[in-house]
Amino acid sequence: MQKKTPKQSFAERISFSVSLFIVSIIFFLVCFTWITGDNNPPILSVTTSSNIRHVKKQYYLPFTIINSGGETAESVEIVAKLLSRDLDIETGRQQVDFLSRQEKKSGEFIFNHNPTEGKLTIRVASYKLP
Amino acid sequence: MPTSNQTNGDNWRQELEEIISGASGGFLFGIPLLYTMEVWFIGSSARPPFLLIVLIVTFTIIFLLNQIEGFRPQESATLPGAIAETTETLAIGMVCAGLMLFILGRIDFQTPLLETLGKVIFEGVPFSLGVTFSRSLLSGEEDDNSRSQKPSLSAKNNQHKSLWQDTLADFSATLIGALFIAFSIAPTDEIIVLSASASPFNLLIIITASLVVSYGIVFASSITNYKYRRQQQGLFQTPQSETIMSYVISLLAGMLMLWFFQKVTLGDSWFVWLRYSIILALPASIGGAAGRLAV
Repeated sequence: MQKKTPKQSFAERISFSVSLFIVSIIFFLVCFTWITGDNNPPILSVTTSSNIRHVKKQYYLPFTIINSGGETAESVEIVAKLLSRDLDIETGRQQVDFLSRQEKKSGEFIFNHNPTEGKLTIRVASYKLP
Repeated sequence: MPTSNQTNGDNWRQELEEIISGASGGFLFGIPLLYTMEVWFIGSSARPPFLLIVLIVTFTIIFLLNQIEGFRPQESATLPGAIAETTETLAIGMVCAGLMLFILGRIDFQTPLLETLGKVIFEGVPFSLGVTFSRSLLSGEEDDNSRSQKPSLSAKNNQHKSLWQDTLADFSATLIGALFIAFSIAPTDEIIVLSASASPFNLLIIITASLVVSYGIVFASSITNYKYRRQQQGLFQTPQSETIMSYVISLLAGMLMLWFFQKVTLGDSWFVWLRYSIILALPASIGGAAGRLAV
């Protein structure tokens, strides 16, 4: 399309200034994350909460996983195993699609036995680099 | 003779119209990629050097495109003007993409900075290209001659008949536009993923965003044929009624598409139907708004 070239109005100068500010902020933040960035591989840790819900004969155990490393982890697998007092073994698995640097994700494992009365093992089993 | 206040007011109004037109083009071009999980994942895992390269390459491409296109009808014939327009295009694209990512719950205040930047930049690229092409995407200029004759022709006809004909034309155009954009999104898992993370408050925000963007595309854009459209008859011809009715059509079309692709079944609860349809009605209403420009 053919364009005309009139003088820039005050409104246009203001919108250009705002746009320049937004684009500069994006450039600055990308550079900032680059300079301060951590290039270490993912460091994944999972913690559980004592705030267990007991609903309809099932126990909901909250957990939080955090990536304190520098790189993003993909397909993070968390495995929980509960050995109850009557030696029943219950296992639960969770998969988190992506976990960026310093990102936290939370969820719950569901057991038929009370996790506080058995031996609970919860660990991050695997991940892959994107 | 216009006073300086009037001129100033006109400048601001023109500026706002150009920005809204540009943003509308961005939504039209960028919305299909906003509903693509892979783009979120690429944004989540991108490293800062790569993001810088993406920004520089996008800036260069938009700069080149602005030599022949651009969301402004003036200005980019000079080098500083082209740089300014490119900066504005990128800013509009990034802000629109960021807002939509926030509304759809893909970024929030807990999201790490690098992940937020990655998603905004990757989703911002198609939005920025849409801003560049907005005048071509939304313009109805080429049909002006034929359109200017249409009201006089319809005046000769029965007014009642014309009212229903125009309503039917708007209905069909909305439906076709909604199908054009949303039919390829309806069978994807993104609808389920987005729906799962949306609270009732988020759904209300998504409904509001659908109405605002749809209204923006058809009515607030200075480069569309809205002046002509307001001379037309039919049940769609006040801005509010057109936006609301078109949204309802998009919502119902969304439900049908989801049912067609077995994403919802008659055994599902009404709330599942409603949630999925509200999520799909966002791209559908944007498509519907674009479709009505063609009427």
